[in-house]
This record gives sequence, structure tokens and C-alpha cells, in this order.
Amino acid sequence: MILSQEKLLGLLQKYPPEKQHTLAVFQDIQQECGYLPKEHIIEAAQYLKTPLSQAYAMATFYRSFSLTPRGKYVIKVCDGTACHIKNIHEMRDTLARILDIDAGNTDKDGLFTLETVSCLGACSIAPVMQINDEYFGSLTVEKIYDILAKFYEVESYEKERSEV
Amino acid sequence: MQIVIDGKSCNAAPGQSLLEVARHNGIDIPSLCHHEGLPGRGCCRLCIVETEDANAKDANGTANAEDANGTANAKDANGTADAEDANGTADAEDTNGVADASPKRSLVISCVYPVHDSMTVYTKSEKVIRLRRTLLALLIEHAPDAEGALPAYCLEYGVTGYHGLLNIRKDEKCILCGLCVRACEELGNSAIQITRRGVDKIVAPPFDEPPQDCIGCAACARVCPTHAIDCLNDDERRTIWDKTFPLVKCAACGKPYATADELEWLKEKLLDTELNLAYCPKCRGRASRF
Repeated sequence: MILSQEKLLGLLQKYPPEKQHTLAVFQDIQQECGYLPKEHIIEAAQYLKTPLSQAYAMATFYRSFSLTPRGKYVIKVCDGTACHIKNIHEMRDTLARILDIDAGNTDKDGLFTLETVSCLGACSIAPVMQINDEYFGSLTVEKIYDILAKFYEVESYEKERSEV
Repeated sequence: MQIVIDGKSCNAAPGQSLLEVARHNGIDIPSLCHHEGLPGRGCCRLCIVETEDANAKDANGTANAEDANGTANAKDANGTADAEDANGTADAEDTNGVADASPKRSLVISCVYPVHDSMTVYTKSEKVIRLRRTLLALLIEHAPDAEGALPAYCLEYGVTGYHGLLNIRKDEKCILCGLCVRACEELGNSAIQITRRGVDKIVAPPFDEPPQDCIGCAACARVCPTHAIDCLNDDERRTIWDKTFPLVKCAACGKPYATADELEWLKEKLLDTELNLAYCPKCRGRASRF
């Protein structure tokens, strides 16, 4: 989703036009759009009086930024030590198989994005994943099927309602 | 000030880096990411050397002695016998202090290490050579196709090339030292940067497209120690970063000497300066003399 000119300007003007606010501006854009659209990076760099190359370098450095549109639901699979020991790779492979995508990609419906992150900081409930703001711990392969089924159910329900 | 490098006494000025001083005095220290026109950043770490810091030890020793003397003096006021005793102790401590601080060598990166008085430097010690070999092996592993200084150093240090230990493209030339980025920031228009992270890190223009900000000055290609940046010149055009620039010929000697974009950019930057941009730097100097 690309922001309108006024909306982007409103967002930019929350910050003084200085280089040091690049990260904060990008976080806001990521929050609003779900990713960093190219046009917005260019406009933000111009507003912040920062060379585009440096803005782009920052946008590509941080994992929390994406340069491509992401799904409605972003699945972050923990890749930390505790989860590793608890067989997280099995969960990740299951997810990849169900969604038919590799980690780092978005499925063809634009519904789910599968990502790995270094650690979700919830090792006590390892193996763990996060879908948008919700945590799912003590995962098993069966649980993964159940969780995804629920999301698909909600989606088809919403779709039906919107069609009615 | 005076410092000793490989047994040779060298003149140095405060603020200079060790590498600068060594090169000034004809002592060669290998380096890849360093350029004399740009501040050092210590990326390639090839200019590693060992230092022996006589100065720091001296200062410590002196400080201790003074301290002990001070105590001795204070006691002097109280009683002479005591003072003598204290002096005796102080002396003993002093010698102890010196004995403890046996010459200790430390490793430093000479391109970013500022010189200080009466330091002793070893640029070719056994340890340094061993470390440089490891560094070179890692660098060539990362950039198997590098040209220029890196393979030459590998030859010099007896490092046999690429083993395919890393998952790196075989035609990779870049060692990611960032010298081109620094050159572009200083001389050009900040058109390129080190982008992405970890194993995907590369030097690239924004969005991997021909960079809008590039003026085609080719400073990046010129400083690159491994010839990793493609820059094609013919009589009329220069192609760099997938962008083609028309070249401007000098009005006097007729050789192409800069891109049109570069001159445009210079004009903007040097608004108040009277500089005849029709001539190349060489002919410009000649023209101004007559």
C-alpha cells in the first residue's frame, strides 16, 4: 500500500529534516505500508537531506524493513539456540510446505509472509513463532496445521462477509 | 618526535598515523583499504604491525618514583631516619616496577594508529607475517577473482589462492573495504554505499539501478585496490555502474578528461571560484602560467 502524497508528507513532517531521523521515518513508513516502497524511500531521503545511497543502505541493513510488499500475516519463526534445539527447523519446513514458499517470501495470495528471526526472546516456550503480534509457543507440527487452519478460516469468513 | 621502525630511526609529527610515517621513511607496510588522500579506516587489517611502547612504561615508572619520593619527602619533615627508610623502599619499588614491565609488544592497525613519542615498531616480525598470511588467505577466499594488490601480496607472502571454503561467487573481486564508498563521499556525490548485511553485503547503488546521483567521476574505480568496479572508457563515453556519460575533451590538448555531468557538478560546487573548466587540469595550469 502506497501512501498518498499528503499522508506521506504528514508523516515526514513529524520529524525535523535531518539525517538522524532516517531510522524513525522508515519505521513509521514500514508501520503504515507494511513495507518500504521505493518511492517513499526516495522522498524520505530528499526530505531528510540524506544521500539516497545511505538511506537505501539503511533500509537494506535492518531485518525489520522489507523492500517488497509483505503478506497480511507475517510469520516470524524463531531461529535462536533454544528453538534450534527444540526442532524449530521441522516447524519451519512444515510452514514452508503448507504455504509453498521459502523463508523470506510471501505466498501467492499475499496472505502470509514467512520469515526467520534470530531470536524472539521467548525461549521458555520454545519452539516459538510469531504471527503479526501474537506469539505461538511449544509448537508441534500438528499445532502448526491447527493454527494455520484457524487463520485460513478467519480469512474465508471475512471474504464471504465482504462478498455479501 | 622520533620513533624506531624496524631498527630505523624515523621522524614523525604528532597526528600522523604509523603507516604514514613508515611510508614516508621508505618502509613498506602492505595495505589494501588505505589511500593517502582519504582517512584510514582499518578495514583490511593488512597493515597490522607490532609496537613496543617504551614511553608508556617510562611514564609509569616515573610516576611511581615521584610518588614514592613525595611520600619520602613528607616523612622527611617528621624524621630523617624515617625518610631514609622510605627512600630505600621507594628505590626498591622503582626497580621492581621496571622489572615487572618487561617489554610487552602489542598488535596495532598502523593506518589508524597515531604515532607517539619513542615507540618501537616491528613491521616484519614473525607474528605479523603469520597474521598477514591468515588475513590474505581469508581475503582471497572472499574475493577469488581480485586483481591488483591482493594477488600480488598473496604471491609475496606465499599464500596459495582460493579453496572454496566460503559460499562466494567465484568471480567475486570485491573485498568490501569500502574505499570506493569513502572516495565517492569525499570526491563524488555519495552515489554508492555498502548495502544489505551479512553474507549478502555488497557495494551497490540504490535499488541496484544505475545511480541517479553518480556524476561519472570514476573515483571509486580508481581507488579500488582489487579492480572490482568496471569502468569502460572510449574516446566519447565512459560507462560505470551501468550508466553512460559523455566525455568532455580538453580545449587545449584534446584528450577526454572528465564527464559532462562531473563538470556540471563542479560548476555548481565551485560557484565563486574562477576555474576554466574547458581545460584539463594539466593544461589549466599551463594556461594560467602564461
